[in-house]
Amino acid sequence: MSRLEAKKPPLFISEPLTRDAVSQSLSLLSGILKSSYGPAGRLKQLHNGVGGCVCTTSQSSALLGHLCLSQPVLHVLTASVRNHVSRFSDCGLFTAILCCGFIENFRSLNVAPFTVIKISKHLLSLCMDHLKSEACGCQVSVDFSSVETLVCLVRSILTSKPACMLNKTEVDHLTSLVLKAFIFTVPCHVETNAVLGKCVVIPVKGGRVVDSTVLPGLLIEAPEIQLGKPLAVKRTGSNMIKIALFSVSMSGDGSNPEEGTIVVRHGVSLEVSELNQLLNVGKQLVKDEVGLVVCQKVMHPSLKQYLKEQGVVAVDRAGLSLMDPLGRVTGSQPIASIHSLPPGCYGSLKDLCVESFASKHFLHLIPGDTVICSLILCNRSETAWDELKRVCETAEHVLQHKVRKIVPASTLRDLGCSQTQYRLVAEGFCRSLESVARSLSHDGEEVLTDVVYGHCWFVPPRSPCVSRWSDLVSKCGCGVSGSTEDLSWSFLQGQSGSPVLQACPQEPSVKVADLRVLDCFAAKCSGLQVALETANLILDLSYIIEDQN
Amino acid sequence: MAFRDVNARRHIGLQQLSALASTGRTFLGPMKSHKFIVDEITKQSTLICSAVRLLESLDLTSAVGQLLNETIQAQNKEFKTGMSTLLFLVGAWSSAVVECLQQNIPVPAIVSVMSEGLNSCCERVQCLQIPIHDVKKELCSSRVRPKAFGSKTDQAGCDALTNPWDLLCLQRDISAAEEVIPINSCSHQGDYCNFNKLLVSPLAGFGSVASVVKAAGDKSSSALSGSGVSASSCVTRKLTHSRHFSTLRKGHFGGQQGNFQGHLSGPPADVCGCCGLGHLAVALSHGNQTSVKLLQSIAAYQQERAECSGNSQVNIAEIVTCCVLGLPESCSCVSPGFVTLVSPEQASVIKHFADKALRVLLMDGDLTEGYRHLGFNRPPNVRTVLEHPSPQGGRAGDAWLSRMLDILMSFEVNLVLVKGNVCKNFMERCVASRILVIGCVARDVLCAFGAATGAQAVTYPSQLNASSIGNGAWAELWKSSDGRAVDLGELLPARISAGGIPLLTAVLTTALPSKAQLLEDQFWTLLYRLHHALKDGKVFPGGGAVELLCLSHIQALAEQPGRPGNDRVVRELPSPWLAEYKPIVLQALASGWRQYLSVLLWNTARASSELEAGASVDHHLQKAAACGSPSAYILEEFRRGGVLRSGSEPFPEQVADLKVCDNVTAKTEAWRRALDLVLLVLQTDAEIITGPRRNQILNSPVSSEFMFL
Repeated sequence: MSRLEAKKPPLFISEPLTRDAVSQSLSLLSGILKSSYGPAGRLKQLHNGVGGCVCTTSQSSALLGHLCLSQPVLHVLTASVRNHVSRFSDCGLFTAILCCGFIENFRSLNVAPFTVIKISKHLLSLCMDHLKSEACGCQVSVDFSSVETLVCLVRSILTSKPACMLNKTEVDHLTSLVLKAFIFTVPCHVETNAVLGKCVVIPVKGGRVVDSTVLPGLLIEAPEIQLGKPLAVKRTGSNMIKIALFSVSMSGDGSNPEEGTIVVRHGVSLEVSELNQLLNVGKQLVKDEVGLVVCQKVMHPSLKQYLKEQGVVAVDRAGLSLMDPLGRVTGSQPIASIHSLPPGCYGSLKDLCVESFASKHFLHLIPGDTVICSLILCNRSETAWDELKRVCETAEHVLQHKVRKIVPASTLRDLGCSQTQYRLVAEGFCRSLESVARSLSHDGEEVLTDVVYGHCWFVPPRSPCVSRWSDLVSKCGCGVSGSTEDLSWSFLQGQSGSPVLQACPQEPSVKVADLRVLDCFAAKCSGLQVALETANLILDLSYIIEDQN
Repeated sequence: MAFRDVNARRHIGLQQLSALASTGRTFLGPMKSHKFIVDEITKQSTLICSAVRLLESLDLTSAVGQLLNETIQAQNKEFKTGMSTLLFLVGAWSSAVVECLQQNIPVPAIVSVMSEGLNSCCERVQCLQIPIHDVKKELCSSRVRPKAFGSKTDQAGCDALTNPWDLLCLQRDISAAEEVIPINSCSHQGDYCNFNKLLVSPLAGFGSVASVVKAAGDKSSSALSGSGVSASSCVTRKLTHSRHFSTLRKGHFGGQQGNFQGHLSGPPADVCGCCGLGHLAVALSHGNQTSVKLLQSIAAYQQERAECSGNSQVNIAEIVTCCVLGLPESCSCVSPGFVTLVSPEQASVIKHFADKALRVLLMDGDLTEGYRHLGFNRPPNVRTVLEHPSPQGGRAGDAWLSRMLDILMSFEVNLVLVKGNVCKNFMERCVASRILVIGCVARDVLCAFGAATGAQAVTYPSQLNASSIGNGAWAELWKSSDGRAVDLGELLPARISAGGIPLLTAVLTTALPSKAQLLEDQFWTLLYRLHHALKDGKVFPGGGAVELLCLSHIQALAEQPGRPGNDRVVRELPSPWLAEYKPIVLQALASGWRQYLSVLLWNTARASSELEAGASVDHHLQKAAACGSPSAYILEEFRRGGVLRSGSEPFPEQVADLKVCDNVTAKTEAWRRALDLVLLVLQTDAEIITGPRRNQILNSPVSSEFMFL
């Protein structure tokens, strides 16, 4: 007998932004994010309180991914930021902090949301036009013929997260590895549709960072492989190794997750018939001169034994994440059934050998020509390794993001605004941008800005009193400008409506090696747009309808 | 989701770290005091003597506790040594950093100066490294050898109890062992910050436990304190009234080294190290004599093999341990092959084998009917229908047993080594058919037997074919060195071997069950030290030499203008600004090693108070500075017998004999890991608890510290 229960009516919450709970949560979230921002950002320990692993991080993807929020408004915010991060990997905290800033500043304006949205959109378009114009001094073009800009970009990303616990030597080592990995992923023979390859991160936790390395091709962990013994692999006539790649489980359990019951007569063993089928596949593979069999899931020990006796190398439990790169490296089609081997499913390899890193054994698949490489990443502790992996992936992603233009970080005050009717909104807009710049400082660091170039300058906390700021600051935050002249510094603390920038900074005569911090241009622009659009969406909310069932 | 600001006023995370780490102070140095860990609920207690076991025994539900445990485990996994150093420095540096915070030093300055300072120290101490072959030269260089284990010690042993220094050791050891750490304390459920309380609160049954400790201390105190851990023989010597230890004493000091050599069928353990590893092992042992002897035997065996292969490293994968309870520790020895404990029924099968060459089967799973390889999921939706039930059909299990036994018989298998568990019924049937089945065999052992006998490991008996069976193994009952009866109860040690097998078993004997784990840990620690020393190709002079140089180097750094590290750094901070804080922060870094050295002196009873120990450290520091080249001074002092010696050393000559060395990488990695953890916690300003525990947190006494998103 089934019982019907009347549905509860949905709950309507009007004007959600005016509620205290929402604004408290928003400011708490904004506080968490601001305190994590920048290379001096503070770390957060995320854990479940009952003994789960501890994630120490200051990364937006990890932070926003772990937070469980009670307010729908915050869900909207985190969802857009995470979407931005999944596309660009970079500038997640910037986007989130800016978005919180827009909401907080615009809400207090006492201007109708509709008007605010209209004006702020206009301001955004002015910003974007300026950022993209040739006159904008914020851009540094990437010269792909020299590595200096790329080194600076990768270094900016690696050093932006203190939880990686890297020292100078380690940063240098990783920077070169990440760049090397990036270069491996660029195809040598460029055709019309060049596709960048992939860098697979292989975890070696507990090791020293300087033991990390990068290898072309792929590594599959193979604990059963014994070191020291030469690997005898069957080769085809053309001296290549034929490889078969299975995505289906070969454990012989006949995993059929469908509904229903199979009835078998006593004495009939499904296991045996399943195993026979697997051995038939094995025979076919041997007949087809396959030299290496890789299975994503588990292989039956009898099948492994058979293949080994026939001189075929068999590795199982390669894992889902390796399947796509495996297909790309070898040109094989993953086989999804043990009942038929589709024609042309085999791929080929140039060579196969055994490598070992920190007591783990790997099978190294060496293809003829590849855009796939493996980054063997070591770090001392688990929590630092996790952060380092995220950071390296970000760096790799940013490099791949067709880095054409890069914007120095913390040059944010680049607005031109003179129309009085926009004054209020524009001030809010500026304050939001400034608050992002200010949140780069922690521990009571002072943030200065100059009237000439509009760059940020950081003064360490509790600095002695000096008559001239130029005694304290030698270089701006991003490293483009030096304090060779008096630049009329002032505190960056929300006095908006300050004079328009006179001119854009000097010609890009700055030596790239002097630059300190670079951000990805596309990511920064997208971040700015996403932040404003999300803030406008949230400001425009008049009801939240909550399904209570 | 809850959020807590851990950085408000005092840094809770750092305080937690230093509270947790302070429990391990007595593990520093060669003379470790043991601890009892008492479970408040079950009232079971464990005897421990290392930082790893300590942390394993504590409930570490806090984020910081977990990070600390993770760090210690990582060090243990790689080096098996340096964990006490790591734990101690975590404690010392976290309290030093808290003091910096109280003096309003900004976090970036602390992070920058401390990490650059450590890098600089690690570079500086490289000049102290001694290449392995120099160690051999230096330690073999004539003077003294026999005194360490020989008659002189024995002589000293006789007046042990009349020597005030020994009495002091004795008292200290007993009192240290009284430190009882309760775990499972009911009061801390859901409590996030009462670390100090948790760690020091005396438990209800304290009195009784303490009296147990006392009793043990009175009668046979070396059960707690000696145990082969002590740096010198002085502690072991104290035992005169114990039955076990009087034999031990005889074994250790009675010049019966021949026992070991006589027992080994292999090459003799040459104390003067023709293989060169003997003295290195002594230097790395920090006074643990039992393990040293085992290691010397291992080195000699492996050396003989290495002469063929040209590989001079200690191969850890070829060594296993077996604890035999009921024999005195002096019976510990190394046996070639695989020694394991078997039941009396299995022993009778072995007796029956006599000298027969056995056919071997290796299995890499369980040997039970229900076992399937990992990753095999039993289909849930299969139903078996029995159409014609036969009354005499018997149980399905019997059919399996008979089938498996038939397979083994048809291949004439005599010996089955199984990685996992073995079905009890099957074991009985095998014994009846004179087949020896041994379960829970380590993977490395299976591999060694595979290589030596040609056997190929299988998962199911049904996979058997002619090529998977190995040949030429044999089995016998293990006998102790003096041929003493080893029929000690339920389980008997048996030795299984095969021609040319490189496997060695360290048989660790002890009369005290609670010490078995300790002995095993100590053995592995020493083995790994030797392994890493050979891998590094060099060692540090021990006994505080490296730490002393770090201290003197930091003094120099603090006086020097500019940054501690000369090259560019991760985050550029203006130098004039940093210079203001540099001396204070460097002092904080130095205080870690200063405390380390004082506690070392105090733990080894070379200072009667921490104050005196500190003064002694300063004294040596001044001497090093006055010498002009601190590293030269330290090396010279080390050559003359030890760095932190004082004029009033109780046995000056004896101390000179006990030249100790430390691992290079293990030590610097321990420093780095310790500082990394402290700086990681320092830079953390909030703890975010994810998941649905809102109400539990709201009801806890610390709810006011949390905010909710």
